[in-house]
Amino acid sequence: MSQMERRAFMKGAAGGALAFTVGGIEVLLTPAAARAQGVPLRTLTAAQAATLEALGETLVPGARHAGIAHFVDQQISIPADEALLEARILNVRPPYANFYRAALAAVDRASQALNNGRNFTQLGEAEQRSLVDNMRQNKIEGWQGPGGPFVYLLLRSDAVDVVYGTMDGYAGLGIPYMPHSAPTKRW
Amino acid sequence: MANEKVDVVIVGAGASGSTYAAVLAKAGKKVVVLEQGPDWQLSDLISSDFWGRRVKPAGAPFLLEGKNPVSYGYQGGWGVGGAALHYFANFPRLLPNDFRIKSEHNRAHDWPISYQDVAPYYDKVARDVGVSGDAKAEEIWRPAGDPYPMPPMKTFRNGQIWLKGFESVGIRMVPAAVGMNSTEYKGRPACIYDGWCHVGCPIGALANPLVTYLADARKAGAEVRPWSNVTRVLTNAQGTKVTGVEYYDQKKERQVQEASVVVLAAWAAQNPRLLLNSSTDKHPKGLANTNGLVGKYMMTHFSSGTLAIFDENVENHMGTTGAQYMSYERYGKTAHKGAFGSSFIVAGTALKTSDLGGFANARLDLFGPELAAFMKRAARGFSRIGAFGEEMPNIENRIELASDKDELGMPLGRIIHSYDDEVPKLWEANFAEGLAIAKAAGAKEMWSGRGNIPTIHLMGGTIMGTGAENSVVNSYGQTHEIANLYMAGPGIFATSGASNPTYTIFALSLRGAEQLATKWSTIAG
Repeated sequence: MSQMERRAFMKGAAGGALAFTVGGIEVLLTPAAARAQGVPLRTLTAAQAATLEALGETLVPGARHAGIAHFVDQQISIPADEALLEARILNVRPPYANFYRAALAAVDRASQALNNGRNFTQLGEAEQRSLVDNMRQNKIEGWQGPGGPFVYLLLRSDAVDVVYGTMDGYAGLGIPYMPHSAPTKRW
Repeated sequence: MANEKVDVVIVGAGASGSTYAAVLAKAGKKVVVLEQGPDWQLSDLISSDFWGRRVKPAGAPFLLEGKNPVSYGYQGGWGVGGAALHYFANFPRLLPNDFRIKSEHNRAHDWPISYQDVAPYYDKVARDVGVSGDAKAEEIWRPAGDPYPMPPMKTFRNGQIWLKGFESVGIRMVPAAVGMNSTEYKGRPACIYDGWCHVGCPIGALANPLVTYLADARKAGAEVRPWSNVTRVLTNAQGTKVTGVEYYDQKKERQVQEASVVVLAAWAAQNPRLLLNSSTDKHPKGLANTNGLVGKYMMTHFSSGTLAIFDENVENHMGTTGAQYMSYERYGKTAHKGAFGSSFIVAGTALKTSDLGGFANARLDLFGPELAAFMKRAARGFSRIGAFGEEMPNIENRIELASDKDELGMPLGRIIHSYDDEVPKLWEANFAEGLAIAKAAGAKEMWSGRGNIPTIHLMGGTIMGTGAENSVVNSYGQTHEIANLYMAGPGIFATSGASNPTYTIFALSLRGAEQLATKWSTIAG
């Protein structure tokens, strides 16, 4: 990365924006803005993104509109050593896309097995909560994929990130964000 | 490609490598520091839990096995500055009882040195990097030494609120010793208490290598080469001396850096991986490993966190990620009846919302509307205390090479780690006492931060001892087998104690580097 590119990147980073591709051009957007603008997904399929949004919303209210699917999609589409995902801290072995694909597939498999063939997105709120609670406690018989409690931990962390880890998230809780240098955007 | 031979090549630009680089460069040696990751600047350290993850481990993963797999992702480093770029800068020291567990309790092993051998270096490091605290207050538990160069840091309600509880169980708390500036120090500003230490302090108020030893090293002429991934330590044909290292640059091109002395300061896990991967016909089990002890005796700390919500605004966003108060009151190896090992206690830490240490993780069982409600309560009244526990060294806890390889063809490291039966006893004892403290402190809600027993601060793997029959290196970090090959960092700890390790890493590195500089002609000749 050239010095000029690096400075530009850092300016965006300080604001919390990520690089999304819109019309073939890389632009810096927050995941919420990327979702609102319908930025195309790069790695996740539409179905995977829908499952992730539904899971995120079940785990942390507000995660859907905060752009959890666009956040994860952008992050698993860049080199692992640039990723900002909690997966990095929790020792998930790159490429991180493999984990997310496997985790989302496991959730839908479990959902289908427990709910007459319906995917997670097709469940009612109470059913979604029940499945997540059982996944958390490793109580789903026949679960196939990364461990249910670990899937819960990691996706919950992603949802917490986009809802509570942002400047808006802090403001919503009434906590002063207090960065060393004020970001140029609220993320 | 061969590079011009230098006096010393140091592998790793974290706390230990930076200390070696500073001492040796100032002694007039030509020093090259090879660092696997990027060359971070202070301006790269963004006050955000997301962006702070960029300075966490990347590169080839370690395979994690055993009953209590080591979790290194949160604590480890990536790039220039290493883990010390984002550490909490708690600066407790080991105490005299840590150095003689075998003599006093017939467990584990003694260090080949005593507290008094290290103490002058604790004092020197404090002056070099800047430590705030009250040394006199600590002397109820340790021998006297020099005062710290700065007064204690400010305290906040999220720390103060616990003091009554500690007093109720007879635990004396003193101002925490931290590698942070309570006042301006050596041209670096005082801390502004915004609690973002754990993602890196961009103003240099916290003593990370970029503003301390590595800055000194660069000023004295040391060269730091980022994106340099070392794969082997090279030896002469006789196998009697090391001659340099092989590494791959950012373009993945093979390079050789010859040197009169090699210092491995990569990480407690990476150093053994390198030694094991450097086998030759003269060293078929890997360098410095005739006795088979390379990679053995890996140790971690575990913490018993007590979490609570108080019925007042404790302003938990204020302060530093490090502690405001600390105590060695339970540091005796038998301080807790029925359990063995030291405990080191801390209180008063600034909290953020997300990431592993964020308060969203204080109740991992909650999700959905219940989590949202908890977040609102916790934002106002949540605080926590912690007790770090000591794990005894166990030869079965080890690093070995796996059959899987990284992109450069180097075998991955496998870390195998299981706690023995003593650990849960100490963990539980600290939980029980923590709840009593929370109750006496007036907490409205209180609970223990359970789950899997955590693994914190990886140590061991190239431990020090009195000779090749019991260890890999001597007390200076010099390998018993090859005089011009040094190990640096927490890997050389003989036992773990319960104190955060970085102050001791700095002190032992300073001691080792000064010995190397003093005996240069004998060692490097």
